[in-house]
Amino acid sequence: MARIPLGCEPVIGSLVPSKKRDYRVTNRLQEGKRPLYAVVFNFIDSRYFNVFATVGGNRVTVYQCLEGGVIAVLQSYVDEDKDESFYTVTWACNRDGSPFVVAGGINGIIRVIDAGHEKIDKSFVGHGDSVNEIRTQPLKPSLVVSASKDESVRLWNVHTGVCILIFAGAGGHRNEVLSVDFHPSDMYRIASCGMDNTVKIWSMKEFWPSVEKSFTWTDLPSKFPTKYVQFPVFIASVHSNYVDCNRWLGDFVLSKSVDNEIVLWEPRTKDQSPGEGTVDILQKYPVPECDIWFIKFSCDFHYNAAAIGNREGKIFVWELQTSPPSLIARLSHAQSKSPIRQTAMSFDGSTILSCCEDGTIWRWDAVSSSSSSSSSQV
Amino acid sequence: MASKPSPSPSASRSGSLQDTPMAKPDESAPESEEIASVIESLKRHVVDERCVSIKERMEKNRHKLASVTSHLQKLSMERRNSWINLADSSHDLLKKRQDDAIGMHSGIGTSSGDKDSDSHQEDSHASTAVLLGTSIPPGKNSVRPIRLPEVRKLPPYTTWIFLDRNQRMTEDQSVVGRRRIYYAQNGGEALICSDSEEENVDEEEEKKYFLESEDYIIRMTIKEAGFSDAVINSLAECFSKNTDEIKARYESLTKDEKTSVDSLHVDSEASSLNSFLDKDLEAALDSFDNLFCRRCLVFDCRLHGCSQDLVFPAEKRPPLNHPDVENLPCGEHCYRSVSKSEKMPTEDSPELGDTKDNSVQPSSGSAGTRTTARKKHTPCARKKARPSQSESASSNIKNMSDSSDSEIGPQHTTSTSHLSPSKTKLCGKGGVSQRNSKRVAERVLSCIKKRQKLIGSESDSVASGGLLGGDAKLSSSPHRENEDANSSSQKNSKSRSRKTELSVQNVQGVARDGISSAMVADPPGSSSDVTLRKDDYADGNSRKMELNDNLSWKAFEKSLFEKGVEIFGKNSCLIARNLLNGLKTCVEVFQFMRQADKRLAYQAGDAANCLGDGYSKFDQGNNEVRRRSRFLRRRGRVRRLKYSWKSTAYHSIRKRISERKDQPCRQYNPCNCQTACGKECPCHLNGTCCEKYCGCPKTCKNRFRGCHCAKSQCRSRQCPCFAADRECDPDVCRNCWVSCGDGSLGVPNQRGDNYECRNMKLLLKQQQRVLLGKSDVSGWGAFLKKSVGKHEYLGEYTGELISHREADKRGKIYDRENSSFLFNLNDQFVLDAYRKGDKLKFANHSPDPNCYAKVIMVAGDHRVGIFAKERINSGEELFYDYRYEPDRAPAWARKPEASGSKKEEASHPGGRAKKLA
Repeated sequence: MARIPLGCEPVIGSLVPSKKRDYRVTNRLQEGKRPLYAVVFNFIDSRYFNVFATVGGNRVTVYQCLEGGVIAVLQSYVDEDKDESFYTVTWACNRDGSPFVVAGGINGIIRVIDAGHEKIDKSFVGHGDSVNEIRTQPLKPSLVVSASKDESVRLWNVHTGVCILIFAGAGGHRNEVLSVDFHPSDMYRIASCGMDNTVKIWSMKEFWPSVEKSFTWTDLPSKFPTKYVQFPVFIASVHSNYVDCNRWLGDFVLSKSVDNEIVLWEPRTKDQSPGEGTVDILQKYPVPECDIWFIKFSCDFHYNAAAIGNREGKIFVWELQTSPPSLIARLSHAQSKSPIRQTAMSFDGSTILSCCEDGTIWRWDAVSSSSSSSSSQV
Repeated sequence: MASKPSPSPSASRSGSLQDTPMAKPDESAPESEEIASVIESLKRHVVDERCVSIKERMEKNRHKLASVTSHLQKLSMERRNSWINLADSSHDLLKKRQDDAIGMHSGIGTSSGDKDSDSHQEDSHASTAVLLGTSIPPGKNSVRPIRLPEVRKLPPYTTWIFLDRNQRMTEDQSVVGRRRIYYAQNGGEALICSDSEEENVDEEEEKKYFLESEDYIIRMTIKEAGFSDAVINSLAECFSKNTDEIKARYESLTKDEKTSVDSLHVDSEASSLNSFLDKDLEAALDSFDNLFCRRCLVFDCRLHGCSQDLVFPAEKRPPLNHPDVENLPCGEHCYRSVSKSEKMPTEDSPELGDTKDNSVQPSSGSAGTRTTARKKHTPCARKKARPSQSESASSNIKNMSDSSDSEIGPQHTTSTSHLSPSKTKLCGKGGVSQRNSKRVAERVLSCIKKRQKLIGSESDSVASGGLLGGDAKLSSSPHRENEDANSSSQKNSKSRSRKTELSVQNVQGVARDGISSAMVADPPGSSSDVTLRKDDYADGNSRKMELNDNLSWKAFEKSLFEKGVEIFGKNSCLIARNLLNGLKTCVEVFQFMRQADKRLAYQAGDAANCLGDGYSKFDQGNNEVRRRSRFLRRRGRVRRLKYSWKSTAYHSIRKRISERKDQPCRQYNPCNCQTACGKECPCHLNGTCCEKYCGCPKTCKNRFRGCHCAKSQCRSRQCPCFAADRECDPDVCRNCWVSCGDGSLGVPNQRGDNYECRNMKLLLKQQQRVLLGKSDVSGWGAFLKKSVGKHEYLGEYTGELISHREADKRGKIYDRENSSFLFNLNDQFVLDAYRKGDKLKFANHSPDPNCYAKVIMVAGDHRVGIFAKERINSGEELFYDYRYEPDRAPAWARKPEASGSKKEEASHPGGRAKKLA
């Protein structure tokens, strides 16, 4: 990257763990032979804060974390298409509050599973190629957004099953979109990133009537007048390689490329000229040995910490909102050698799950000085 | 060190740059280490500040985010509650399983849980949670997976952008010259698709501007260490910039400080307002010239790009002709309506002319008397009488004007300006006489000018011009008397005379004030305006008004006006409405126009001869003449245009057609020849015809002359357009025309015998509805909605226009993906519909197709039309022959006997599969 001018340097976190909290492996389970690409806790409904879902191969599995490192398998779904390979999963719910698991993968079909009734609710056909990430709007959990290899991002309503918006076109991504995220408070904003090395921030403000309309749509979903959003409000070239994960941290953006670090930066848009703006890189969170793509990080509910795995099966837990950033813990285990594709932090960050290329799920629990009784089984 | 800082800060703060460098060199320059340490400490300071600011921002963001997440948490709690309230009757299996698991877990905690879990399975859903990580192995009691029924997936596609028409590739889409990594469909590994030949990525331009932090360091270092070469050098090293830059920056910094203080005192409001109005029209037009595509008639054309060469036609178009809307005022500020309303008090109706005239004449006379010397008045009156008499007496205008010419000239030198006006009246009588009269007037004017100089009045030339105008009107009034007597049938003359009347009155009023200079000043305004301003004059404001009048025309408006005259002729209504809307009213334009006339007249004043030309350029009165001449010209042109099969152009084109087989068409670029194109014309050299966009005259031998077809409707090779693979162009072909709408608005003058040309479908976008669906052959396919007959036009194949070099590179990538959307258009461009295009790009290849593609020249551009090869029924899938180069076709595109397996073919190396037409 170009020389960073004086006075604009980011604050780089030190890799010496602060030992604020320590984690121990409390469980490990082998789900299958195929790689697991995603694991996610349910943050939508407080009843299910200890429930999580994983995907790998043609299988979607729902688990529950119990006391003492116990994991219970609650549900399991298998796509009849053996060639399906799910890449991503998220939790959502319809307007009645019934919990949905939404998963997508190589086939480009988004599966909406009604976990409350243990049946497939809908399948969204529309993406022209594999789906790389699906995220849920926290304020309106019926809305999900998906990032796809077909260079588009689509906004869906799981309640009515319509595709509301397509973020693609003249100003869109020029290669696979790998990650997308809703702004936590500004309902109109999403950020997406991908193989064209850019992060694009989109606004659906102008199209909001369309979004509202989607909630009351009763006709066939295919008849919904899907609109195209062709131009993002901001294009950031923060990285010089594939950007495979981005998340909002308030009004800042966390993004990660394959160059061994997560970058926190602030987009500064110019109101007069949309699409332009400057990036102020604030902080960097180094993650050693994290130079392959499709490794995603996760945050706890309050965005206090982020956990990310690496190519060698280690996990780095960063305190996100301090300056300079401090590394809470570096988790490693002798048998954890396989690349960790995705982690999941529980509501309060006390439990970290990681899913690996070799099909294993690892559970790490924070060790509090008082309850030293908890012991790992593996 | 410690001692030095005290003087230097004050120096730099005061901003007097000279002191600092002067003072410093005397003292021993500080050690370089010291300087370095100063810089270093300042740097650290900057970095620390940055850390602090980041910390603050993070903190702020944290607070904000905390409130956001707590809100979200509240929402998630509410969801639980609402669920409990609303629907605890309906069972939620997830909840149930969760509870089961908890139950089991606690069961394990208390006793051996295996049996427990069995007892929980009371409902129809056999499976329940399985605990993992406890001491009990999961064993047989595993969760039964729920099957998700298979859904047919779509054929893969990349999001593409619908294109209504072809577009040239934008820079950032280029693959050439950029190292880009693409992913192969199956391999999952990165492939570098760009050749290494031009990988020398240019070093990013070193940023030349200084950041706030650097400014700070520069300022503070110099403050502390003084201004010396050593300091500058180490600063330069520190920022990796050169010393001059640092010096210059320091100077500007100190200057800034000074000015920022100063500027506080300066009222900054003066700026901004309508700054663009002060700019020249040329400057404004510049962006117009660069951004407006004259071929597509849109701004920011994506097909021809901006900054095309401007081609100006060799033949100038005559100003627009406005047929007789003449007497309808264009609006409330129209010069006509204003003059009319003003006139009311003095003149009730035209019929009363006589009485009015009478009243006017005396008044003018009296005005004359009052203004200047009485002795001047008498001759003028005499003179006036004479020409007018001659006019009324003799119907031969020419003679009259001649006589008046000769007579008036000398008289004027001696007498007053009041005479000159004889010219105005004449204008009513048609072109020829007018010109003469004009000449007369010219001479008169020049005479007057001289006279005025003699008189030595303080008025400048413009003012005197104005005077003339006023005078002219004044003196015209007597004339009118005669005309009325003769025949008052001509509207023009009447209205004019009315105006003059008014002006007379006005002048009179001014004269009464006894300010001769005021009189000089006022006439520049048109008659109507003068009357408007009468009151003001009475107040003695005349000077000011005059000033306004001239100065209020900004350079921009003036040049707009000039353009307006070029376009519309001297029609203030049209100019005001179309070009100066919101800036000037019709009246103002009218005034300005008259003034301009006069000024022009003056410039030509001395030599009366040159007047004929110069004047005619501007004068509305000449319109009649011009109209006629244009009519003549058109007739001539039509004759020349008459299509001849033996014309040279046709031969060469014919030849080209026959030779062209299998050769790519040539891209057309308009030439800028100002005369008939010769051997060196770029079009000729390039082997294309000249088109209507060329600068050359229509008689150019290289022009494509269009067709002359009528009955055949341009559907066969009999039509020269059709034979040359061109669409007909209503601008060029004789009988090809387009009607507008459903005919309810009337049809244009029909040319030919009302046969509708069938060779303009691309131009008119008369395409068939094409549907996108899953192909029976491979991936997506295009389907036809309605049945069509043979050779029917189906639609256009649009895409990005890319160079052949770019196409080669992209082709390699596409080959890997086993899809091809490339289409050879001409010698310069290839169409690529991969990212941008329309639905016809999905039509598949077939060796036995039902459609064919044809490159057609439409208004200078090559476009690809898809036509039905045979009758196609509705709902049928469309196929055409991609005409793959031999051995390049993918397996599915080959004839059955030749096809291998698709997989095998996907790996074929090199070469791009390209569609040819």
